[in-house]
This record gives sequence, structure tokens and C-alpha cells, in this order.
Amino acid sequence: MNGKHQEDCLAILAERARRGALSRRRFTQLAAVLLGSSALGLRGLPVLADSGELVFVNWGGDASKAYDSAFGQPFKADTGIAVKQDGSGPTEGAIAAQAESGKPAWDIVDADPFSAEKLGKRGLMEPIDYDIVDRGKMRDGFGWDYAASSYFYSYIIAYDATKFGDNPPSGMADFLDVETYPGKRAMYKWGSGMWEALLMGDGVAAEDLYPLDLERAHAKLSSFKEHVISFWGGGAESQSLLLNGEASMALVWSTRAKLIEEDSGGDVRFTWNQGMVAPGSMAVLKGNPGGAYAAMRFIAAAQDPARQVVMFEMLGQGPGNPAADALIPADEARFNPVDPANFALQVPLDVAWYEENYGPALDEYLKIISA
Amino acid sequence: MSAATKTAILIGPLLLFLALVYVLPFLGVVRWSVTLPEPGLDQYRAALNDPLVLSVFWRTLRICALVTVLCVTAGYLVALIWVRSGPLARLLMEVCILIPFWISVLTRAFGWLALLSNRGLVNGWLQAAGLIDDPLRMVRNEFGVVVGMTHFLIPFAVFPIASAMRNLDERVLMAARGMGAGRLRIFWQVFVPMTGPGILGAALLVFVFALGFFVTPAILGGGRSVLVAELIYLRIFQSPDWGLAAAVSVILMVSVGALLAVLLRQIRPGGAP
Repeated sequence: MNGKHQEDCLAILAERARRGALSRRRFTQLAAVLLGSSALGLRGLPVLADSGELVFVNWGGDASKAYDSAFGQPFKADTGIAVKQDGSGPTEGAIAAQAESGKPAWDIVDADPFSAEKLGKRGLMEPIDYDIVDRGKMRDGFGWDYAASSYFYSYIIAYDATKFGDNPPSGMADFLDVETYPGKRAMYKWGSGMWEALLMGDGVAAEDLYPLDLERAHAKLSSFKEHVISFWGGGAESQSLLLNGEASMALVWSTRAKLIEEDSGGDVRFTWNQGMVAPGSMAVLKGNPGGAYAAMRFIAAAQDPARQVVMFEMLGQGPGNPAADALIPADEARFNPVDPANFALQVPLDVAWYEENYGPALDEYLKIISA
Repeated sequence: MSAATKTAILIGPLLLFLALVYVLPFLGVVRWSVTLPEPGLDQYRAALNDPLVLSVFWRTLRICALVTVLCVTAGYLVALIWVRSGPLARLLMEVCILIPFWISVLTRAFGWLALLSNRGLVNGWLQAAGLIDDPLRMVRNEFGVVVGMTHFLIPFAVFPIASAMRNLDERVLMAARGMGAGRLRIFWQVFVPMTGPGILGAALLVFVFALGFFVTPAILGGGRSVLVAELIYLRIFQSPDWGLAAAVSVILMVSVGALLAVLLRQIRPGGAP
């Protein structure tokens, strides 16, 4: 969350391209298909936006290319509105700075829903227009006033299968059990998903998690932290901790888990059990230069299942539109965090809780891990 | 044209540039610190009573002080060999000082990770040699942060010290020898005090530079060593509270400024330029 995950997507993309496995050709093919079929999709007269273009802000590098091919180019073909990708990273603070200036240069941001909600209530975001954006193309329970559900990723356990292959961890209690599962652990530095993991590991049932009992989670963290070799701040770091054997188990992003499994030749595996599903979203800045109408149309166009599958193929993002699940090949479905079979094993992060409590909870968390 | 006018003309553009890109924005930060979310000194009170801010300040000071002592000590020895040895050794020292100086801070941090991690080269050798059974924890903790920062900052200590050593009047040492002082005594009672301003300058440079470190602690600290630069980043971008971030920045600037003022007086008694 808070942009860190999105930032990681670009790194994943770079790695996949470097490996040449799926790569650019497959990607170009998919993009070509999308472009070809786009005439069937959102048709309509080209509507000139206020500035005649939209600026979509994401986390940079090759992720910009993915967004451009999956969403930007088809949208231009449909509507004539060019979508410029800006990779400068829409952190909550950066969005606030843009919106408060009164003359934002940004239109749409790839933001955490809880950040967008918080900023929206301060009058800095445009409410999502559900006459244009289709709520029916979002999963139940996702989609907010100021943020349109667009994709998903999870915090899940990845483990050294050469050690625990016979008796793989089945949930957070096993993650916290260094007797049965010896070795060091790795956790996320910025807190999200970790409180839930600590509480479930301490015996709290998934349905009783929210509102989070932070005191209990932090007590658990204090006693467990000596077993944590590193609190990783970026996906690449979590990957190297597992690949070089410094950690025998780690809580990682599902987008990374797939890469780690491939890179280790199956020596590091993952489980969806008691994973935490985190939503990603698109949000629109108040007074955006391209106009709210054009921005809403872009978000609606990005709900197209085939286009979302491109993002899954490239970045491992779970599609926001449930109709996209069926388009994912059967052998790839096990990497989809929101595939019904996988989703059922996990807990979705509570956006409302994060909106209210994230800042102070993170302070407390950082104080404990750095003490 | 007088010398003073020439100086003013030469240095003027730089001062103007600094005023525009540094002083002005900083005044904006000062304004934030007393106006966000509402006018007053509440953010300063909040910062100085916030246990996270205090613990981060304390850790930053502790690590930076330790790094400064290590850098100045190591830098002094390096400078001594560099300045006072034959041409070949001098060349070798120059290469050893300058090459790491040119390598990016990121690369160097990852280099230390490769060397010192649990499955790294050093632990591998020690285990293969039978010297240890369990790997030593050398990175992903404060130790790793101190190693990485010290390594990065040593050249910044070497240059001012070496310059002080070069400017030292050789005849003073000869006089001391002529008066019958032994080598150790010359070193401690003549050489070291006479290079004192260089030592203070080096300490100052290293300490101030260390206060702003971001990348090295983030990579080598295993997520545990949150220093003040990262805290400010957190409060600006991640869980925004610009007023508090600004207050923390101003507190940092003022304390560094006060330190500079005190130390500069030490280096140039009377405060004359």
C-alpha cells in the first residue's frame, strides 16, 4: 500500500522483460488485439476534453508502458483523447500538493483507496461518477466515493519449500511459529497487512479482525521482531531475502511471489491462506486539467476485462472487474489474488479502517521495529 | 575596481542562486511549520513530545556521532599516509580514496549487503574456515548502517585533514625535533594540535552530511534504522502531516546551524573570516 506496491510493479515489469519470458512480444500481441477490438468496445463520438488530453500518474518506469498499452492507447483509439503517462509517483502527500495548488497538472492517479477517500473528504478529489463508471464491473464490497476499484494485490506468505515442502505453513500462526518452522522471517516495513497477520497469528479469527486491536498486534510484534531479519521496504528486497536464503519465510506481495517462485525454480513457494487482499484504485483530482468527464470515461474504459488481463499478464495485478477472471488461462489463475478460489482463503483489507487509523498506527509500528 | 568589489561580483551570482533555490523555499518550510494546520507553535510542541520523533532524533544523533568519530579517526590515518609518504604509496592512497568516492551510494550499500549478509562472502569465509558456527549479524541492523555510512563518508574527512597537514609548516616539526622531542611526542603535542582545525572541519562536514542520510540506512538497516531524513519523507509523502514535517526540518536546521556556529568559532578564533 501507499504507493510502495505500485512502485514495485515497474520493477516486476522490468524483470519480466529482461528475462524475455513473457515479454514484450506477447504483450505487444495482446495490445494489438485490444486495439483491434476496441472499435467494438466503448464506442462513441470523440469527446474533446478540456485540455484535449489526460495525464495518468502512476509509479513510473515500465509500469507506465503497461498502463499506456493496456489502457491509454485503446482509450485514444476510442475517444481521440491522448493519455499521457506520468511516472512521478502519486503519494498521498504529492496528490495533496497538486490539488491544493488549485491548478493541478494531474488528472487521474493510481492511488490507495484510503488515501483518495481521505483527500476526497478534504475536497481535494473529484467524486467518482457512477453514471459513467460501472459499479457492476467492480467486485462486491469494493468501489468508493472518491476511488474506483481497479486492481488487487495481496500480502501472502512465501516460504522455503526445500525446508517446509513436506509440511507447508497453513496460515499466520505458522508464520509466527519459529519452533516448527525454524529460520528468520521478513515483514513489510510500512505496516499495511502486517497488523492483520500478527493478529491472525495470535489467534484472532479473520472475521473479528476489524477494528484492529493494535495493542495486541504490537505486543505480538514486540515479542516476535527478533525473528525478523529485515523489514523490507520494496518488493525487490523481499525477493532477495528469500532467494538468498536469509529468510525462510516472508510476507510478500502476491505480484512478487509469482516472480520468486519462478526465479527459485519452485524452491520458494507461496500460499494464499490467510493472505490479505489489498485494493488498488484510480482517482481523479479536483479541478483536473482534462475535466472530470473525460477522466471518468477513462476509468470506465479501464474496466474492460480484456484490458485488465493485460495488466495481470504484465504485472500480476488481480483484475478489478470480476468478469476478467474467466479470461485468465487456467494455469495462470493460481497467481490471481482475486480468483474466487484464492480470494476465499484471504481477508480483504478494510479501507475505512486504514483511512481513519493508518498514520498513527504506522507511527507506533515504526517505533517498535526501530526500538 | 577594488578587491572587495571583484569578490562581490564573483560571488554574487552564487549567493543569489542559493537565496532563490535554497533560502526562499526554506522560508516556505518555516512558514508551514507555524501555519499548518493552524497558526501557532503547536507543531513544535507536538514534535518535541512525540515519542517517535524523539526516538528518531536520538538515534540519528547517536549514529551520526559514532560515524563522525570513526570517519575522523580513519580519515586522519589515511590522510597521514597520503600526505607524508613516498610517491608510490601516495598514488595508491589516491586511488583507494577516489575510486569509492565516485561509486554511487546505492551500489556501495548493495556491495556491503553482498559482503556482510548472513549468506554473504565474509560469513561464508568465516564459516568455511571454521571460525564461527552461526553467521554473524553484520547488516540489517545499526552496525550495518554505521559501516555503510562510515565507508561513504571517510573521503569527506580525509580532504580537510589532508589539506591541514599539507599547510603545516615543516620547520615547526624540525624545531621540535631540534629541541629533543621524540616522535610520539612530536605527533601528539605538535602535529595533532596544529592540524586541529582540519580535524574539526572534517568532523563538521561528516556530521552534517550524515544527518541527511537516507538511502544507506534504508538499505543496510533492515528497515529498523529510521533516521530523521526518512521520518521527514514519511510525514511529507506517506502519512502526510506537513506542519509536523516542517517543524522537524526546522528543528534539524536550527540545531545544525547552532552546531556550525559554535564549531566555526573554534576553528577561526574571533570569528574572523
